[in-house]
Amino acid sequence: MIGIKNAAISFVLEAQNQAELEEIKLQFLGRSGQLTLALKEIPKLSLENRAEVGKLANEVKNTIEETIEQKISEFKTQKSKVTKEKIDVTNPGIRPPLGHLHLITQAISEITDIFSRIGFTRVAYPEIEWDYYAFTALNFPENHPARDDWETFFINQAPDPKKGQVILTPHTSSGQVREMLSQVAHDKINIKMLNIAKCYRRQSDVSHTPMFHQFEGLVIGENISITHLKGTLDYFVKSYFGEKRTSRIRPYHFQFTEPSFEVDVTCGVCLGQGCKLCKAGWLEMGGAGMVHPNVLKYGGIDSKKFTGFAFGWGVERVLMMKEGIEIDDLRLLYSNKLEFLEQF
Amino acid sequence: MNIKILDSWLRDFLITKATALEIAEKLSLTSVSIERVEPLGKDWVYDIEVTTNRPDLMSVVGIAREASAVLPQFGINAKFIAPKLPTPKTSNEKASLTIHNDKLLVHRLCAVVMEVRIKPSPKYIQERLETSNIRSLNNVIDVTNYVMRTIGHPTHVFDYDRIANHTIIVQESKKGEQITTLDNKTYTLEGGDIIAVDGDKNIIDLLGVMGLKNTVVTNDTKRIIFFIDNNDTAKIRKTSMGLSIRTDAAILNEKGVDPQLAYDALYYGINLLEKIADGKIASDITDMYPGKPKPTTVSVSQETINKVIGINIPLKTSITILEDLGFTTSVKQNTITVNIPSHRLSDITIEEDIVEEVARVYGYQNIPSILPSQNTMRITKRNNAFYWESVVKSALKYWGFTETYTYSFVSEELFEGTITDAIEIQNQLSSDWVYMRRTLIPSLLQVLRENKTFETIKIFELANVYEKNGKDLPTQTSTLAGVVKKKNVSFFEVKGIIEQLFLDLGIQKFKFSKRTAGGNGADVYIENVKIGEIEILDEEIVDFELDFSMIGKYATTKKVYRPIAKYPPIIEDMSLVISADIQTDKIIEEIKKQSKLIVSVTLLDIYQNTRTFHIIYQDKQRNLTGKEVGEIREKIIKTFKSKFKAEIR
Repeated sequence: MIGIKNAAISFVLEAQNQAELEEIKLQFLGRSGQLTLALKEIPKLSLENRAEVGKLANEVKNTIEETIEQKISEFKTQKSKVTKEKIDVTNPGIRPPLGHLHLITQAISEITDIFSRIGFTRVAYPEIEWDYYAFTALNFPENHPARDDWETFFINQAPDPKKGQVILTPHTSSGQVREMLSQVAHDKINIKMLNIAKCYRRQSDVSHTPMFHQFEGLVIGENISITHLKGTLDYFVKSYFGEKRTSRIRPYHFQFTEPSFEVDVTCGVCLGQGCKLCKAGWLEMGGAGMVHPNVLKYGGIDSKKFTGFAFGWGVERVLMMKEGIEIDDLRLLYSNKLEFLEQF
Repeated sequence: MNIKILDSWLRDFLITKATALEIAEKLSLTSVSIERVEPLGKDWVYDIEVTTNRPDLMSVVGIAREASAVLPQFGINAKFIAPKLPTPKTSNEKASLTIHNDKLLVHRLCAVVMEVRIKPSPKYIQERLETSNIRSLNNVIDVTNYVMRTIGHPTHVFDYDRIANHTIIVQESKKGEQITTLDNKTYTLEGGDIIAVDGDKNIIDLLGVMGLKNTVVTNDTKRIIFFIDNNDTAKIRKTSMGLSIRTDAAILNEKGVDPQLAYDALYYGINLLEKIADGKIASDITDMYPGKPKPTTVSVSQETINKVIGINIPLKTSITILEDLGFTTSVKQNTITVNIPSHRLSDITIEEDIVEEVARVYGYQNIPSILPSQNTMRITKRNNAFYWESVVKSALKYWGFTETYTYSFVSEELFEGTITDAIEIQNQLSSDWVYMRRTLIPSLLQVLRENKTFETIKIFELANVYEKNGKDLPTQTSTLAGVVKKKNVSFFEVKGIIEQLFLDLGIQKFKFSKRTAGGNGADVYIENVKIGEIEILDEEIVDFELDFSMIGKYATTKKVYRPIAKYPPIIEDMSLVISADIQTDKIIEEIKKQSKLIVSVTLLDIYQNTRTFHIIYQDKQRNLTGKEVGEIREKIIKTFKSKFKAEIR
C-alpha cells in the first residue's frame, strides 16, 4: 500500500503538464489502476486485517487525490506565469480621477481641525451684514477714523433706522456680537467660537484681493485672561506652522479689544534670524485682544463677571506664511487659472 | 499712521546708552511698532507705525518720553529731556492783530506776529525734514513742519501783510464757497468746514487741513503770523476726507491733538524762528483757550489687573510702570487711582485702558501661555453643514473635479436676472465687481473662457448666492455648482455625479424631471422639493447648480440594518422594444407593480428602440420556483403589450 502511495506521489510531483497528471490518475485510481486493483484484494484478507488495511487504503487514496489536485492548481497558476508577457513597468499606471481642492479650502480644513481639537465650534454669520454688527456693536463711534482702516464696500439699499447701512462684512469680527447674543440665553456663558468666512475690502493689489477669508476666534467665560490668548496662539502656531516657529504679541490698537495686540510669528525662511522677507525675523499674522467691555455689553454679557479674548486672522495670510507657498501676487489665488489650481 | 524720524533727532530729547536697534526692539515689544531701522551715514532712521489712539506719539518728543518709560523695564537707563521753551522776548512795536474765534470750531488758538527773513533752513533741519518725507521749502515754512514733528502739534504761517485789516475771523464755510490751496488747486466747499476769513471776508485758511494760496508765505514776505489752531476733530475729518486733502496736519488733527501742546508748539516755534529766520516778535501773543479739557481720573483694582492679565502683578510694580509713563497715582485698599495727563485724555477712559498700560510695559513676553480649560466644551453635532461641505468637496475631488474660488461680485455682463432686483455695490472698485451674484454658473463659465487651452475641464464651487429680501438683509444661500466641459459630454455623466453624491449623503428620495426653465436638461428634486438644475449648454458643456443648504437638511449619517436574504434571488434580463416616448422611470415603475416578488429593476442597456432591464425576483421567506417567476414574466409581457404596445425581444 505504502509502496503504491510513494510511487504515485513521486509520479505526480514529476508530472510536466495536466495531460501527464490525467494519465497518472488513471494509472493509480482508474478502474484498473494499481490502487483500485489493490483494493479489490482486501476482501481476501482476514477480518482483523481487513479493517486496518481498508483504513490505510482510504488514506492512501485521499493523499494521492490531494496531491494531484494540488499539482493541478499549481499548473493553473503556472499557466498565467507561463504566458508572462514582458511588461514595461515604467509605463503609466491607470489612475482613478483626481481633482484638486482650492488652497483656501485646504487651509480652512486644517485650521478648523486644529481649533476643534481644543474645543472650538465652527459657526457662520452673514457676509452681507449690517453696519451695526460690523462697527457700532464693536465699539466704533460714528464717523470714527478707525472705520477707514476697513475700506468697506457699501450696498445700495436704504439704511435701517437701528442697524444702519448694509455692507459687505470687512472682517469676521462682525460675528462676535451675533455669537454672544445667541449664547446669552444659556445659563452659563461659555463661548469658544471659530468663525471662518469670506470678507470684503475695497482694495486690490499684489497683497490684497477685494474678497478674502478670515478666521475669528472668540472665547468668553469666567477668568479668561491674556495667558489664555497666548496659550491658544502658541498652540495654533506650532500646530499650523510647525514646532520650529514661535509667536509673540505686541501692543496694538483696535476699537473692539482692550488691551489689543498685534501677533507675530517667526519667519519661516530665516526662523527669526532676520532676512529680506521679514521684519527682523518676524512676520505679522494679525490682530487679537481682550474683548472690550463695551462689546460684551452690546452682546448682553456682564463684563464684571465675564472676560474674553478674540483674534481675527487672514486665511490667505497664514497660508502665505507657510513654507513653500510664498505666492508673489495674492490675486493669483482668485484668478482660477487651472495651471495654478492643479498644482495643489 | 507712520512717521520716520532720525535717531539723532530723538536723542535731542532722550539720554540713553541703548543703541538704535535696541530702542527699536524694546519699543516694538511694549509700545509703538518700529517697522524698520535703517542706517543713514552715521545716523539711523526709524520707520514708526503709530496706532490711531496714540496721536501723542506722532512726534519726536512723544517717542522720546515713551522710550524713557519702557527702556528701564529692560534694565536700560534712559532719561527724557523735555524740550526747552524759554519765554520769548516781547517787543515794544505792536503790530495790530484782531482774531475772532468760534469756540465750537476751535478749542485753542495761539497766534503771534513776527518779522522774519526768508532764506533756506540750516542743513540739519533740511535733513531731518527730508528723512521724515517732508519737503524743505524755506526756513519759515520748514519751522511749521519741524515744530509739528518735534512737538506733535500742527502749526501754520500767514503772510501778515496779505491779510485785510490784519483781522482773522474763524467761521464755518457755506456750501459752494471756493478756495485755492497753497498748492494751487481749487476746491468748492460742501459747507460746514472750518475756515478763516480776513477783514474783507476773503477766505484765507482751511483750518487744520491746508493753507491757502492768497496768504501763503513767499520769498517777499517780511512779516508773518505764526498761527496754531486746535480744532474740532469731526469737522477736520469731514473736510479732509470730503476734499481728499490728506495732509500730515489733517491726519493728526482728525485724531485729536492735545491742546496743551499748542502753547509748547508756539514757544518752540518762536524760538526757532528767532534762531533761523532772524525772527522778532512784533505783536502781543494771543492765546484763546475755550476748550480746555477737564482733568480726569480712572481707578482700577489690583484684582481687575490680575484677572485680565492672568497672573499676579504686585501693586508696586503697576504703580512704578504707570508713574514712569507720566501718570500720577494714588492708592487706597488695593485700588489705584490714576490721574490722566492731557496727552492721554482721549485714549484712557476705562480701567481696561490702565490694565493695558501695565501689561504692555510689564512685557507680554513675561506672561505665560496657558490653554483655556477643556471641560466646558459645548456639545455640537459632527454632521453639520461644514461636515457635509467637506464630504461633498472631497467626493468631487476624487471624481476628478477641481475646485475654484471666484469673486462673489460680478460685472453687469455676468449678472443673471433683472438688474432692478440686483444687490448693487455703492462704492464700486471696478466694473468687474458691481453686483452680488444670484448664481455661480456665469462665474464658472468665465473660468472656462479663461482656460481655453484646456480641452477637458471639470470644475466646481461651493459658495453663497444672494437675493434681495425687502428691507432686511439679503438672503444668502449656500450653493453648489459645477461645470463639465469635454467633447461629446453626456448629460448622464453629470446626472450620475449628482445621484452618487445624494446616495453618499444618505439621501434616497430624489428624482430628475424635465427642465421647467426652458433649455435642455433636468430639474433636480429631493422629496418633491426642487433643489436645483442640470443644464445642457452645448455639445461640450453641461453644468449643474444645487441649493446646498437644502441638501444639508436632507443629508444624514443615519444607517439602517436590513437582514441579509437567506434565500437566493432569481435574476433575469428582459429586452423590451418600446416607444422612446415612454420614460424609463415609468417602465421601471410599471414592472415593479406587477409583483411584490420583484425587488429590483434597473436599466441595463439601450440599443436603438430596445431597452434591456435587469430584474431581480426574491422572496425573503423561501426559495422561488421557476414556475412562479415564469408567471410574473408572462404578466409583465401582457401588461406591456396592452399598455405600451411593447414587444419582448
